[in-house]
Amino acid sequence: MAQGHALDGSPAIEAIGLGVRYSGREAVRNVDLIIGRGEAVALVGRNGAGKSSLLRAISGLENSSGQVIVHGEHCHHGAVLAPVAYVPQRSSARWDLPLSVQEVVVAGCRARGGRWRRPTSADRARAIQAMKIFRIDELRDSTIGNLSGGQAQRVLLARAFAQQPKVLLLDEPFAGLDSASADSLSTAIKDVCSSGMTVLCAMHELAIARSVFPRTIAMDVCIIGDGPTSEVLDPRGIERIFVRGAAPVSAVDRT
Amino acid sequence: MNVLGWLTDPFASGFMQRALISAIAIGIAAPAIGVWAVSRRLVYLTDAMSHAILAGVAGAALFGVSLVLGGIGAGLFMALVVAWLVIRARVPEDSAIGVVGQGLFAIGVIGVGLMSDPRALSHVLFGNPLTVTSAEVAVQVAVAIVVLTAGWFLGPLLAIATFDPLHARTVGVRVGLLDTGLIITLAMVVVVGLTSVGVLMAITLITAPAVAARLLVPRLSHTVLVACALGVFAAIAGLLVSYHLSLPTGPSIAVLAVGEVAVAAVLRRPWSRSPKSATDDWKGSVTGDAGDRRDETAAISTAGGGSL
Repeated sequence: MAQGHALDGSPAIEAIGLGVRYSGREAVRNVDLIIGRGEAVALVGRNGAGKSSLLRAISGLENSSGQVIVHGEHCHHGAVLAPVAYVPQRSSARWDLPLSVQEVVVAGCRARGGRWRRPTSADRARAIQAMKIFRIDELRDSTIGNLSGGQAQRVLLARAFAQQPKVLLLDEPFAGLDSASADSLSTAIKDVCSSGMTVLCAMHELAIARSVFPRTIAMDVCIIGDGPTSEVLDPRGIERIFVRGAAPVSAVDRT
Repeated sequence: MNVLGWLTDPFASGFMQRALISAIAIGIAAPAIGVWAVSRRLVYLTDAMSHAILAGVAGAALFGVSLVLGGIGAGLFMALVVAWLVIRARVPEDSAIGVVGQGLFAIGVIGVGLMSDPRALSHVLFGNPLTVTSAEVAVQVAVAIVVLTAGWFLGPLLAIATFDPLHARTVGVRVGLLDTGLIITLAMVVVVGLTSVGVLMAITLITAPAVAARLLVPRLSHTVLVACALGVFAAIAGLLVSYHLSLPTGPSIAVLAVGEVAVAAVLRRPWSRSPKSATDDWKGSVTGDAGDRRDETAAISTAGGGSL
């Protein structure tokens, strides 16, 4: 497995002693992590294990301690890292707003170029391209409030893709989806992974993790498992991650 | 009197011409910013701020300084105190807004009561476009132009920040700065609208046309235009009705604006619903049924403003 080794130049994501605290509560503790370029990694753990906080810290959304380096760029709180696209949980967005699918996807184009400018025709062309990749181009004029959960998730993925990122951070994209929608979303994410983009995906769906992601990182505030998905998510690993809580890093461990 | 005469005769005099321009300016500025207040669920904050602004206006009048600066200062002061109560004292946001807004309103009523002119309170609360000066009209027109221009440039950013603030921050949108600018602009519109429709009626013109437009058109970008058109219609119609029927002007405009919501609700295009988990085929046809998600704060505020 490629964990710990950059496939091409510097790693896609490198975290050194990363920590996040909220009002004195430790959400992420002393995370050391290296994800190589082009890797597809699942991030699993119980609710409150720090998965979302870790993704937000890598995105520059959290005031964190330690270091995060993405494609050689040092990340700090409030920084906008061009190589990174973060897809928050679907429930964090306001789907009742009267916006079209295309208006949402075009928002991804703001990551490059002047952020105070109005969307250009080039932005719209890039958004349409992203919508085609995720097969939602026929829905471009649809109102976002009328989409199904799976369609809405693909809109968020297309928006991220329109950013032309090198690293994609996904926060529980499968949450609340039925099996058919989850299957089609898995296919979309597999397509993204095969395009050479680095993907780190927080999730609870272990079957999907096994079928889509070669590597899995398990968290319980700190990293408690890291390796090939089949090993991290074997019955003993699952018990350690979800039943017994944090345990010493041992059997299937970080290298 | 024929219809044309009914429409044009009132505007033969200079004070009515100033009233017309003033009403149009506020009829544009208030809904243009109101669309974003409704979308960002800031209606209750704006309502309370319009009450709090009374304190700043009264203080400015007593000490002989600019009413606009006094009003905006009070609006910002309220926003800061609310933020302090919410963040430091962990008071629920709606409770903090209610307490601070009503507290400052009470101080404002006392301040206006100290003024020598006993009609001052009525003017500040309910406005009177028939008494606006040329300078006040000029400021209102300038504010309307600023709000429209800012809305044109910042509309897409506001839409991004409203839809998904977390993602907006990752692509460099200064969400906090936008919110601060929005609150300052709301305070500014309430203050400059004070002479025409009063602090209590300004919130109705900010909210009602925006709510009606949201019910009528399917896109946020079009909502601003429709809301402004509805605001101008309510302002002009209110002015004419009040002139011919000898009714108070500010409340007449407000009642018509609320009436627009009632008509829009009958003709309505349902408020969008949030996506639910649903099986979606890859080609995914859009589900045609629509939900009834309503912004309760906007509805409550509109009804409350209209009842005054």
